[in-house]
Amino acid sequence: MSRLHPAYLWLARIAVAGLFLAACIAKIRDPELFALAVNRYRILPGEFVNLVAIVLPWIELLAGLAVLVAPARLRAAGALVITGMLSVFTIAISLNLLRGIEASCGCFSTRADAAVSDAWNLVRNGALIWLSLAVFLDAFRRAPSKESP
Amino acid sequence: MTGRTPVRRGEILRLAGACAGLLAAAVALGTAVNTLRPASSRLPWVGDWEHHVESKAFRAGIPVAFLAGARDRVENPAVVVFDARIREQYEAGHLPRARSLPLGEADRRLGDYASLLTPDTPILVYCGGADCTDALELAVKLRGYGFQKLTLYPGGVAEWTEYGGKIREGGQP
Repeated sequence: MSRLHPAYLWLARIAVAGLFLAACIAKIRDPELFALAVNRYRILPGEFVNLVAIVLPWIELLAGLAVLVAPARLRAAGALVITGMLSVFTIAISLNLLRGIEASCGCFSTRADAAVSDAWNLVRNGALIWLSLAVFLDAFRRAPSKESP
Repeated sequence: MTGRTPVRRGEILRLAGACAGLLAAAVALGTAVNTLRPASSRLPWVGDWEHHVESKAFRAGIPVAFLAGARDRVENPAVVVFDARIREQYEAGHLPRARSLPLGEADRRLGDYASLLTPDTPILVYCGGADCTDALELAVKLRGYGFQKLTLYPGGVAEWTEYGGKIREGGQP
């Protein structure tokens, strides 16, 4: 992972950033439907559902932009935040699957007819975690150190 | 570990600072945009999710099906579908294969469907939409009668029609 070809790293940045930028659109457009999707995970206390629905899409947007266009340190931060979000999403989807909750993941669509989550979502998230970690490690290594001449 | 540069504490702190800055910017943007939205689409910071029908169903232990799951069950002849609304609403338009079992008449009319039901029969119940609780109350009542495979479709007729689902009119399923 730590020695990926620069072309692969660019592809990883485009894939991770592109997915998160695409994912935030529906959530920003209709926060009420996204709040409903968050509530369906049955993980957060009701008091925190709207807070997450209001803020999370903007974290996705800014982290996606950071991975795509920001200098190394901010890019590393964006990739680390995305890795963290993906890990939390993966745990949440796994819990839904284990509990037999037939909900959509709320990842890219907040519509009622969005596909129900399945094991494919976990595979996709696993691949995205791998890519975002690769972007993070590369960017963190490139970030200028204050001690450098 | 030979040949690797040790990560300095300062680099970790600068990375943490960048993460915190990114998150703070997201909170500020989310707050600003939500505040500037028209009142009709603005989300309150604290929602009343505890009283949402899906939360009530979860607490009551009644499984919930969303649109895709409801479509599957409506198309599956092994599943008995009950409409919990009053008879007049049922006749005005109901989901395909649904049978009328209004909440207020459930005790009296359940016997009409005795030939269709065993304790293991999968049952889907619905009512008007996310604002009604009749279907949830009917599901709880049916569970009290010993039915084990109950599923609530909280979207109900409103969501079903909004997404292009077929509706049958009249008194027959």
